[in-house]
Amino acid sequence: MKMTPLAVVVGSLLILGAVVFVAVILPTADTSNTPASDILRPRTPAENQGRALYIANGCVFCHSQSIRNIDWDLGAKRIARAGDYLMDRPILLGSERTGPDLSQEGGEHPDDWHTAHFKNPRITRPLSIMPAFAFLDQGSRNSLIRYVQGLGLKDADLRMKRQTYWKKESVRAYEAGPEANIRWLHDMVPEGWRKLPNPYPTTAAGLARGHKIYQDFCLGCHGPIGDGMGPAQADLYPPPLNFTILKGRGITGGILYYQIMNGITGTAMPYFKRELESEKIWDVGDFAAVYFINQSDAGGDPAGIDAAYE
Amino acid sequence: MVIFRKLDTISYPTALGFALTSAVWMAIATFTGLLGATELIAPDLTSAWGWLEFGRIRPIHVNLVIFGFVGPGLFSAAVYILPRLLRTSLYSERLGVLTVSAWNITLLAATVSLSLGYSQGREYAEMVWPIDVLIVVGLLLLFFNLVMTVRKREEPVLYVSVWYMLAAVILTASTFALGNVIWQPSTGALAGIPDAIILWFYGHNVFGLFLTPLSIGVAYYVIPRACRAPLYSHTLSLIGFWALIVVYTHIGTHHLLQVPVPTWLKVIAIVDSVAMVIPVMAFLINIWYTVKGKLGEIHADIGARFIFSGTIMYFFVSIQGSMMALPDVQRVTHFNNWVVGHAHIGVLGFSGMIAIGGLYHVLPLMLRRPVYSLFLADLQYWLILIGVSGFAVVLTIAGLIQGNAWLNGETVYRVLSQIHVYYVIRASLGLMIFTGALIGVYNMVGTIWFRGEASS
Repeated sequence: MKMTPLAVVVGSLLILGAVVFVAVILPTADTSNTPASDILRPRTPAENQGRALYIANGCVFCHSQSIRNIDWDLGAKRIARAGDYLMDRPILLGSERTGPDLSQEGGEHPDDWHTAHFKNPRITRPLSIMPAFAFLDQGSRNSLIRYVQGLGLKDADLRMKRQTYWKKESVRAYEAGPEANIRWLHDMVPEGWRKLPNPYPTTAAGLARGHKIYQDFCLGCHGPIGDGMGPAQADLYPPPLNFTILKGRGITGGILYYQIMNGITGTAMPYFKRELESEKIWDVGDFAAVYFINQSDAGGDPAGIDAAYE
Repeated sequence: MVIFRKLDTISYPTALGFALTSAVWMAIATFTGLLGATELIAPDLTSAWGWLEFGRIRPIHVNLVIFGFVGPGLFSAAVYILPRLLRTSLYSERLGVLTVSAWNITLLAATVSLSLGYSQGREYAEMVWPIDVLIVVGLLLLFFNLVMTVRKREEPVLYVSVWYMLAAVILTASTFALGNVIWQPSTGALAGIPDAIILWFYGHNVFGLFLTPLSIGVAYYVIPRACRAPLYSHTLSLIGFWALIVVYTHIGTHHLLQVPVPTWLKVIAIVDSVAMVIPVMAFLINIWYTVKGKLGEIHADIGARFIFSGTIMYFFVSIQGSMMALPDVQRVTHFNNWVVGHAHIGVLGFSGMIAIGGLYHVLPLMLRRPVYSLFLADLQYWLILIGVSGFAVVLTIAGLIQGNAWLNGETVYRVLSQIHVYYVIRASLGLMIFTGALIGVYNMVGTIWFRGEASS
């Protein structure tokens, strides 16, 4: 084959043209009739402003918006469909997960949690390596929050409705004073859990593990001495719980476990059922009970068959 | 016009201009990489300065590496090599110098605009529309200069390097315009799934049609020249060239295997990602058989040594890339640092090493004096080789930890602390690479301006 300039330039351009036809134009035609998925709704102007900031600050380089059928983490409640992305220009699938996927982030937390988190992510999530966005003005951060709270679209709206309802309830309980607040918090825990003591006795090793979990997950809001004065406290309402007021008010290992597992929707207290397995939840609960509440029912009755390992 | 008059007294001003562009922007690009790597281990380090935020630094790093360091380094060699192979001179040095200047202004504009948050948020296509246009114009100017050089050639036969250089520049101008959706100035994007398809068609071709063919073109010139041997096979050159353009161009969808894109497109992407072994091995066998029995000559020429190492990296990154296109492998490797490691082997280990090697080989030819310091060049070689090999190791380990943990149901947050130590090692290796880049700038400035005889 004689490689003339014409053969090289025109030949390769022709091949590229054929490839563009097959690998770009045909699939675009193929996907152009994708029906809207059930969660699709238009974004509000504030959400669009937030989306522009999300793009400008390169959030997409650490957060995907693309849930796969092998995912377990945040957002894994819904596998992505082509119809979810119809309005996304550009599409923000992302190529890396240095942080969690955000496809379904909307309504996972209340707004005040995001206010604290955007100011500096480490004040709500101590191990986070996300940049602090305190350099953005409050208005921009609020737009970002609107966008993030809309991720998941109609599904996000349902979760936000839940947050708003329980925010009202939890604020009312908080404002009624510690006694009433604790009673409300305990009453919200299903009865079986309320009566359940921590089945594993307190041990030095268990407390050490609990300490580690507390530092990695809880410290930012509840503070290093469990008085609810962690750095996130300034932005949260109702504020993080001061554990010391639980003493003598009917706290059990089961209540602690349930609240850590399930979170308290409407408040900044997230659920940890995805991040912590049962032993870690018992351990961190007992850590708070021993050091902050000074009242632990760990290893108390009713005891079942002795655990082979404690 | 004073500048232009002065230009006439310099030989090869365009090639020299691109060489300096590459060396200086390599230092800036590797610094931004080091900064980003540091932010991943000390996220509050730069929190007072929004323009240094990780999400802004990362696209600056990526774009400067591609369009500031590797691209111009290979342009420099191409602009010198192509006229040599055609027994003529560059069509217009003035146009060339204009292109170099425009390209540098473009890079500066890209850096400033991205750090100020002007981004279109699409990987390798972040830069805003005016900069996209400048890049396409720069590529077209360069292409025009090269084609006109070809037209006034004295040598009738086009050597394989010439094919690759011509094709790389014009095909990249086309795919860059397409991938940046240049007809949509405000967003630079399509909507929904088609946007992902066109983005990764383009993103993949940044390597496939820009960095790879230019690197191959330079290797095809320097390696036979350094070991004073004819190229092993013309047939393999032909197979490698056409197979690259046919196969490499249409497999970008392997970035989207876990996304709802049409299945037939995924099948094509997977099958032909494996078929990439054809253009890759055609080139490598051709080069390696040319070198057979002559490794001593390669070792003696610092430029050829960089380039030969680059071809070995190309082997690893290509075999790895074909494997990564397999869905079962991707269940573990997608979305994590494995891919970051892969990208560094490809862009720094393969095309970056070849860009640096090309400069070390052609600079002494252009200036008719040896490299300023062979010791420093050698030091730079080892810093970068150890740096990029180390990247491959630690980022692959970090990626395996992340990928397997996620597959087992662990959350992203819980795995962060497990990969911290690898991020620390990665930043240390980044410091070595940045040091290598600084040494490169010093050595190049020395070669061009310090008149004294080179030390060894």
